[in-house]
Amino acid sequence: MSDQHAAATRPAAIIDDVRAIVAKSLNIPVEQLTPQTRLDELGAESLDVIEIVFGLEEKFDITIPLKAEDASRLATADKSGGQDMPFSTVGDVAEMVEKLVAAKTAKAAQ
Amino acid sequence: MNRVVVTGIGVVSPIGSTREKFWSGLVEARSGIGPITSIPTDRLNIRIAAEVRDFDPSQHFDPKRVGMLDRFSQFAVVAARAAVRDAQLDITEELALGAATIVGNGAGGVNTIDDSYFKLYGQNATRAHPLSIPRLMANAACSLISMDLGLKGPTFTIASACASGTHAIGQAFQMVRMGQAQVALAGGSEACITVGTIKGWEALRVMSADTCRPFSRTRSGLVLGEGAAMFVLEPRDHAVARGAPIYGELKGFGMSADANDITAIDPDGAARAIRAALTDAKINPDDVDYVNAHGTGTALNDKGETIALRKAFGDSAGRLAVSSSKAVLGHSLGAAGALEFAATTLAVHHQIIPPTANFEEPDPDCDLDYVPNTARNSPIETAMSSSFAFGGLNAVVVLSRA
Repeated sequence: MSDQHAAATRPAAIIDDVRAIVAKSLNIPVEQLTPQTRLDELGAESLDVIEIVFGLEEKFDITIPLKAEDASRLATADKSGGQDMPFSTVGDVAEMVEKLVAAKTAKAAQ
Repeated sequence: MNRVVVTGIGVVSPIGSTREKFWSGLVEARSGIGPITSIPTDRLNIRIAAEVRDFDPSQHFDPKRVGMLDRFSQFAVVAARAAVRDAQLDITEELALGAATIVGNGAGGVNTIDDSYFKLYGQNATRAHPLSIPRLMANAACSLISMDLGLKGPTFTIASACASGTHAIGQAFQMVRMGQAQVALAGGSEACITVGTIKGWEALRVMSADTCRPFSRTRSGLVLGEGAAMFVLEPRDHAVARGAPIYGELKGFGMSADANDITAIDPDGAARAIRAALTDAKINPDDVDYVNAHGTGTALNDKGETIALRKAFGDSAGRLAVSSSKAVLGHSLGAAGALEFAATTLAVHHQIIPPTANFEEPDPDCDLDYVPNTARNSPIETAMSSSFAFGGLNAVVVLSRA
């Protein structure tokens, strides 16, 4: 069984993968990241956010809908425009990934 | 110092490859954006672009020679020939020695690179085509123009991503002004509609899946384009002496670097380039009537560019007419600045401001006059064409009525 399938069947591990991907993209120790850690507080720039999203898509074989301007707003914590941000903390990211993985699994089972 | 004028315009564009078709397309807001036809789209999420659709290489090149030219070089050579014809320029042996060729290009021969890599990595080919390297090199376009027209003066390529064309025109302007070249062929060319290029742009998450709507609240990103525009620049005295048509006079060129973000526009850097161009032209902000904007149709660019124009023009920003040609032409990267300089020059020549097409609703973050959807008859004494590139490289040129 591939790592991807293992992650998909054990949602609890998703948060650890997310922490690892965020830590690697931002070059910070993984211990520094809790589910409550906000991406904007880590000094993530918009391209970092796009790279994190790319890493998650590759790892979990999912598609995360995100535009560059959302990445920029996430990085600067600018919540203007009234759009709902898909995530702002590491925990939010894991939750979003979990949902997308579940949706993919459900679709595959159909 | 020489006064420098534009006497020839040649275009290869998604809305036609004659000066007349190009101009009528811009004025009528006839967008060249449509479904991609030149490459397989099954692996693409973004399936639209502003492609050059009426271009048949065999009409322009000897079958024995065409294999040497990547699509971006084909566009460049065809545009350069058209510019020379338009300028009614007789390139004598003496003039050829002092003729500069400066071409902006962002990506090089990516069609050649994509095809070659697909064969090597995708189909396990064991060898590359012998002309791969001369086709794909970034200077191929300027070299092939110089060979085609026999131009023997200073010849080189400028690569500054989406500002390449504007940098090339500005550089040529400076050289003709200083007498370092007797005449210059300058502009930009790009042919970047490949699977590899589009996948890369998709990953940046700045692409629109439907169309390009610059400065509109409903804008959803940029759309790639392709094409070329080349110009004949020469000293005003030279043009007058030979009775050449004069489209307009180049007045100023400004450049800057943001030294900040690799992709996001920095309003301070952009405003510095605009101010530098005004200073070089020795004019006041009030003297500019029309700005052909970079206007990519991304959320960040259009907002940032509006801030930059307000910073650079101050109170005069309110009287500016600003339009983006990218809803019609798409974003042709290294050719964009050149195609937009063609739009700007023809606007000054015809005294008509081409509109921002696909404009649906005003955005509170973009609060200038964007000439939405309908061309405007309006006196234009002086106009500006601006490009703000990835990598934070900015180039702005100023042109006045002949």
